Amino acid sequence: MMLRKVIRLISKSHKLDPGRLLHVNIRASQSIAVGLDAQIPGEKSRAISRTQESDPAKHEEQHLSQHYNIPLEEVKTIFPHGFPPRFGMQVKTFNEACLMVREPALELLHYLKNTNFANPAIRYVLYGEKGTGKTLTLCHAVHFCAKQDWLILHVPDAHSWMKNCPDLLQSTYNKERYDQPVKASTWLKNFKTSNEQFLNQIKIQQKYIWNKRDSIEEGRPLGEVVEQGLTRVRNASDAVGIVMKELKRQSSSGSFRLLVAVDGVNALWGKTTLKKEDKSLVAAEELTLVHNMKKMLSNDWHGGAIVMSLSQTGSLFKPRVAYLPQDLLGKEGFDDLDPFVPIQVYNYTPKEFESCIQYYLENRWLQHEKAHTEEGKKELLFLSNSNPWQLERLCAYL
Amino acid sequence: MGLGRVLEPAKMAAPMASSARCLWRLGAGVRRTLQPLPGLTQVRWSRYDINYKEPQLNKDYYLKPLEKLTEEEKFERDLRTTQIFKAPPPSKTSSLFEDPVISKFINMMMKGGNKVLARSLMTETLELLKRKQFQKYHEATAEQRESIECNPYTIFHQALQNCQPVLGLVSILKGGRFYQVPAPLTEKRRSFLAMKWMILECREKKPRRMLMPEKLSHELLEAFHNQGPVVKKKHELHKMAEANRAFAHYRWW
Repeated sequence: MMLRKVIRLISKSHKLDPGRLLHVNIRASQSIAVGLDAQIPGEKSRAISRTQESDPAKHEEQHLSQHYNIPLEEVKTIFPHGFPPRFGMQVKTFNEACLMVREPALELLHYLKNTNFANPAIRYVLYGEKGTGKTLTLCHAVHFCAKQDWLILHVPDAHSWMKNCPDLLQSTYNKERYDQPVKASTWLKNFKTSNEQFLNQIKIQQKYIWNKRDSIEEGRPLGEVVEQGLTRVRNASDAVGIVMKELKRQSSSGSFRLLVAVDGVNALWGKTTLKKEDKSLVAAEELTLVHNMKKMLSNDWHGGAIVMSLSQTGSLFKPRVAYLPQDLLGKEGFDDLDPFVPIQVYNYTPKEFESCIQYYLENRWLQHEKAHTEEGKKELLFLSNSNPWQLERLCAYL
Repeated sequence: MGLGRVLEPAKMAAPMASSARCLWRLGAGVRRTLQPLPGLTQVRWSRYDINYKEPQLNKDYYLKPLEKLTEEEKFERDLRTTQIFKAPPPSKTSSLFEDPVISKFINMMMKGGNKVLARSLMTETLELLKRKQFQKYHEATAEQRESIECNPYTIFHQALQNCQPVLGLVSILKGGRFYQVPAPLTEKRRSFLAMKWMILECREKKPRRMLMPEKLSHELLEAFHNQGPVVKKKHELHKMAEANRAFAHYRWW
């Protein structure tokens, strides 16, 4: 197989164009390294689809378009809710979670590394057309912050709070608002799994009364609030609110750094499909979870960062072609989030496309004989238009 | 394709008048070809004349450089510049990943012209097959790994091959009674029967909440290993043909 790669490379080395790097074995490439270096000065002549560097903090430009492996134990702690459904299926099939290092992710990590924790939290918004990789870029950033021991407040999909909720309760704290006990308790469970070590260190600074019999005193660890939310599902939404309020207040003290990561943030300013008893639609603002989340997303606290990604995929009543922040967030959302740092995520570059195909070939995912040929790759490039989502769907049945 | 399917021996004088009118409406080219064949009625017809040739969708045919062509191929190329061609149907593409067996299967699964749904069911089935086989691959030991087939296309083709019957039964009227006579089947009929049985099995015998791709992938895997209800049906047909072996002489073709 290596011999075939060498022969293919030698026959194609004269057809190389500058933007395109071939993925070969190290041993094979050394023989033609001289020829390639003469054509592409300053660029690395060999590019492989995988890299051994599994710490996101050390990802540099040399790792661009390469896949790095996240160990499965870390996946269970950092991403307890799992990945987006199709990526989750891929992780299960290949028995490994590999993310590609891409430009928007590197840019975001660069900003996060240079955050000044004395300044108010900066908001970063990832936007782009459907299926370009916004959610996975967010996961890359979350992995980086988890490795750096930040406290992670990750909402995997804000759109799921806006629909499919059969158990809508009127909130006891505020009569105008509505609770979602099941969704709040799932979120609390995931929060507990991902931030075990912080729950005992952080102490609450105010007394909270749940009902006539239960209350939590000042100075108790945050873990108890989470436990109360998990055991008493009726109070779960209020527990979420308390957790967010305490974290916001105490992140400024400097004992921990807070990352707020929300996927599908445009849901918070969109419409819901939930109905009250009199069959009228619930507005997004009337949900406790959404109300508390919006307070978290304002930049009046310091000691961390807020990373968000827009998503049309799960959104309600938004046209499919809408991808810009102005279109998806609406006037109200844009004004609330303004000022923010926008980071656009694009389709695959030719190098990234090649790397993705190599990754699939290495894992034996592309089983069709014609998919291994150059003609097959050209056809895949054409059919998918270098869109990662489309490419993944095409390669699934080939 | 040939005219054998399209024409039939004329039955009676009365339908002759209407068939003559049909013949006239079909066009000058058809009339020209049918005039030498008296007594034949066109049954299934197409808007295309006899002069329309089938289109060539294979890219390799056109990518061959001029020097490598033989004399006949050069002549054929020149002839193609002046011939008229039929339009290819939308489902036939010059894509590398196209498979005529899979296209036929998708057409048979289609209901009410919903090709989009039928195609998506097929692609989901292929994906599910791949995922199931990968799961088995990861759980197997090193020796067993070589025997596990991960290519969904080979599994699909092999499964349909295993379901194809060798002989079929034909009803023949003799002495006032219909006898089930074993007869050889054409390649087309065999593959049609295999696909038909597979689809019927998956539609009728699945639990209410199970989706088609899941059931179809399960049946294809079983047929690949020569087990399962579709292969059993094929064996039963063979047994019936064996039992009716005595009537084989009733067949005259």
